[in-house]
Amino acid sequence: MKKRYSGIFKVLLVVSLVILAGCGGDDAVTSGDQVMDDAVETGTLAITANGEEFSREGFLSKDGWELTFDQIYATMGNIVAYQSDPPYDTDQGWDIGYKTMVELAGSYTVNLADPQSNPVFLDQLHDVQTGHYNALSWDMLRAAEGPSAGYCLLLVGQAEKEGVVIDFSLGIEQEVAYMGGDYIGDERKGILLPGGTADLEMTFHFDHLFGVGEEDATDPLNLEALGFEPLAVLAVDGVLETDLTALQTALNDDDYALLISIMTHLAHVGEGHCLAQFIQ
Amino acid sequence: MQSKFRSLSSTCLVGFAVAVCLIILPADVALAHGAELQYIERSAIEITARYDSGVPMANAQVAVFAPGSPAEPWLTGTCDSEGQFFFTPDPEIPGLWEVQVRLAGHGDLIRIEVAENTIGATGTTGFTSLQKLLMALSVIWGLIGTALYFSRRQR
Repeated sequence: MKKRYSGIFKVLLVVSLVILAGCGGDDAVTSGDQVMDDAVETGTLAITANGEEFSREGFLSKDGWELTFDQIYATMGNIVAYQSDPPYDTDQGWDIGYKTMVELAGSYTVNLADPQSNPVFLDQLHDVQTGHYNALSWDMLRAAEGPSAGYCLLLVGQAEKEGVVIDFSLGIEQEVAYMGGDYIGDERKGILLPGGTADLEMTFHFDHLFGVGEEDATDPLNLEALGFEPLAVLAVDGVLETDLTALQTALNDDDYALLISIMTHLAHVGEGHCLAQFIQ
Repeated sequence: MQSKFRSLSSTCLVGFAVAVCLIILPADVALAHGAELQYIERSAIEITARYDSGVPMANAQVAVFAPGSPAEPWLTGTCDSEGQFFFTPDPEIPGLWEVQVRLAGHGDLIRIEVAENTIGATGTTGFTSLQKLLMALSVIWGLIGTALYFSRRQR
């Protein structure tokens, strides 16, 4: 009797095992998010700046001026990277919630026109907590010293149109604070894994300032760009050395207002727009 | 006589076990040459991408990132001429899905919370998993009853 029951239960056991095996297949999936959340290791976070090909190779402005740049000095400070939570969106304004934030001390002046730098390396933070750094804020500040002293942004180059060549130097004194969310581009940035290196990029779109000749005149980008013609008419003997203070009286009110407004959408995170406000 | 019953009992038990295994095996294994239609009703996500001016981002590049995998796109594609893009997130990956849309130096990223169990109604021409489980339990219960019946008769 015992033997028979033993046989019965063996058969039942086989059936039960088959059932259990059939039911358990999908439970072995693990979540990459969980792995990331549990990580407590550190890595290196690099901060870079990029003026894109426009600054390194030059481009045709919306009004037909061929622009090339010798230097585009930009000075940045108060650089802070966040693991924002919830993920930061510029629609939410300047309030940002975050799990982790790291700050790069000091200010940095870089040449965005340097053809060898794509992008320009500013500095890196070692031993920072791993995770996804999905927001970045910084100030564009006046340089205290160096070739661009007194300016946040100094563009030096040549403009050429129909045989007319203008050597120009355009200084921007207005300091601006920027805050952007996730980097938008060919690749995701700011994803720092244990022992690894990730980077975040401040991206400057100079086509927003001068427009792009290859695009239609009615393209929103060109409609909101100053172009170079309003500056070209101010050149004397093929030379234009000016800055925002001088342009406030030299430009008409509309062009000056446009130039000022462009400063608020000059900086991006890749192709993602940033929130901006002038620093008084 | 007893040994005949024992033999019959064992045969029945093995037969039932095989039947149960066949029932709970996937239909495509049991009927490799047969046809089976299924449907799953799922909620699709519609993305509409426009410039600030309201102009559609026609043919913009789209990359969809599943929760927990921010570095590798789960899906890539392009918007249509109206700047629209449709996709159906995997209901087995609940959480914050990210969709990045880019065109000619402009881009943005939107996040979409996908809750668990957003999968809708399902259907199939075969048996559902629940039906198979119920059948298996019924057979097991019959198996036990048969075993008890034979063991009682031998006393």
